[in-house]
Amino acid sequence: MFYVELLVIGLVWGCMYALMALGLTLVYGLLRILHIAQATVFTFGAYIGLLVANRTDSLPLAFVVAALAAGVLGPLIYRLVYEPILDQPPFVPLIASIGVLVAMEDGFRLIFGPYGLSFENNPWFTTTLAFGGITLNLVQVWMVAAAVLLLSAFALFVVRTRAGVAWRATVSDPVIAQNFGVSVVRVRYLNFFVASVLAGIGGVLVGLLNNLVEPSMGSVISYKGLAIIVLGGLGNVPGTLVASLALGVVESFGSVFLDKVLDRDAMAFLFLIVVLMVRPKGLLGGAH
Amino acid sequence: MKLKLLAAAAFAAGVLAAPASAQQTPIRIGFHAPLTGFAASDGKSSLNGAQLAVEQINADGGVNGRPLELVVEDDQAKPDQAVPLANKFIGDGLKIVVSGSYSGPTRAAAGVFQAAKIPYVAGYAIHPDITRAGDYVFRTSFMGEVQGKAAAKVVGDLLKKKRVTLITLNNDFGQALSAGFKEVADKFGLEIVSEYTYAMGDRQFGSIVASVKRDNPEVLYVSGYFFNGGPLVAQLRAGGVQAQIVGTEGFDTDNFIAIAKNAAEGVIITTSLDRESKLPAMRKFIEDYEAKYKVGADMVAASTHSAVSVAAAALAKAGPDDTAKLRDALAATKDLPTAVGTLTFNELGEVNKAGQIQVIRDGKFHHFATIDDPELLAAPTK
Repeated sequence: MFYVELLVIGLVWGCMYALMALGLTLVYGLLRILHIAQATVFTFGAYIGLLVANRTDSLPLAFVVAALAAGVLGPLIYRLVYEPILDQPPFVPLIASIGVLVAMEDGFRLIFGPYGLSFENNPWFTTTLAFGGITLNLVQVWMVAAAVLLLSAFALFVVRTRAGVAWRATVSDPVIAQNFGVSVVRVRYLNFFVASVLAGIGGVLVGLLNNLVEPSMGSVISYKGLAIIVLGGLGNVPGTLVASLALGVVESFGSVFLDKVLDRDAMAFLFLIVVLMVRPKGLLGGAH
Repeated sequence: MKLKLLAAAAFAAGVLAAPASAQQTPIRIGFHAPLTGFAASDGKSSLNGAQLAVEQINADGGVNGRPLELVVEDDQAKPDQAVPLANKFIGDGLKIVVSGSYSGPTRAAAGVFQAAKIPYVAGYAIHPDITRAGDYVFRTSFMGEVQGKAAAKVVGDLLKKKRVTLITLNNDFGQALSAGFKEVADKFGLEIVSEYTYAMGDRQFGSIVASVKRDNPEVLYVSGYFFNGGPLVAQLRAGGVQAQIVGTEGFDTDNFIAIAKNAAEGVIITTSLDRESKLPAMRKFIEDYEAKYKVGADMVAASTHSAVSVAAAALAKAGPDDTAKLRDALAATKDLPTAVGTLTFNELGEVNKAGQIQVIRDGKFHHFATIDDPELLAAPTK
């Protein structure tokens, strides 16, 4: 039972990583940018969600506003930071992205104070559900539900809609897609919008789970997200999802059995090294 | 350079115009704290506490008629920031420096100040090697090990419990606390059922909660800071863990209660600050702090407030110019009332004082016990 519980907790963590990493891999797939500043969007979403929740006492409203606010910030970062330097080698946008993350961390600190903020009312956290001996709180349940629902919706969108087809066409060959009348620029904005909405919702959920929204909350998840998309095979969406869940489970077991020897955050990278030694193209390498 | 010349000219003019005003040049105390980065929240409390001390001293007429001035630098809680910063303080001619920071930067700076023979007072950094840097380095708080021993006494003697699980933060702070706890666990008849460690960045503890449920201890001894401890305690309670939680001075801030909310009820901590203290210096600190900053006082602020008070007392005795005399005055500190209690340094520059045990009830810290056990809480002397 104990092991099943650890497995379930690992999958919950995996869903949290998936919400974050999918956006990273989408941006990489389209533009070959390692979008570290996604973590800024994540933190921003968490702050907006917390402010709305504390003002209105409505968590659903908090999620909607946070998702939209994050959905504006992501494309804005693209427009202001990445677009002017798209013709530069990939490390240039990467450095710019790190710059945004670091600057915004102190920006959050200056705006919202260094102590971090907590939800005044966090009913989901204290409501627990028991599934055959395993207790999860409602935030954890929503973490899984949000990941499954949003990622399924995304899959349907990509397969079933014209915009989704245009997206896939642009990812595989932007020049030909453009010749067929696809607006590459619009696809890019859409891409950043989707990635940022997922990150924003993930931010609010993590804020609820910790009952703490703090300026530095994006920094750990930023580099862990990079490990995940490399694990998944850069730009490979199914690979990223598998890698997210796998990392969650590795951390869940590792943080109990390897805790004396290894930092939990170091496990992501040890796992990455081990996997890359065996499968140099990532967990699902070659599938795409 | 121009500015310095101007300042010198203004100073000279001042001296010529009114000889007494030379008395009014402020005495500068160096101060570093993590004002940005992951520890910025403690940095803020730390700076607040130090500034309050300076303000109170100046309102009382300063040190021998001269006002104090705090020269503040940000160390980001990083050792590699602390060394250049220490050299800058020395280059600027400061004669005494207070650390309002964590162990990493304080330990790095301690060696630099010792080599330059500049007295250095650490507020709340707990690593044992800090005062071992030499005879110019002092500390006004408990070392981690000593506080861990106090916690073991709380569990064994006051709570009369036996089976303990340790949840330890894997930095020097957490390791030192747990080491002290384990050192005397046998003495208090405690059985350590299990120990889990976690990292500074961790906020989610689902796997540890599951393990604690399996181990079923009577008491959890949890080290860490409020930003780890708040989520951890909340998740333990939400996961159905009922065991008594004993925490550390890292939870000694209202922010801990703001995060953990109802889950914080009944949590006991070992710390230096007693919210219901009868000591006039501690009372005055708590009241003035809350009046000035409109937030509850915390351990970090009390500790840096005390460190500045200790430095000011030495300045008053030895004057601001001769660092050897200042060191001697610091070393001779005896029964000095401060915000964290009545302080006397031992030959290593450590303090012996009573440990405060607080409990959280109705969303506030309250007095639970005072541990005044000179033998158990004796600081090392070498």
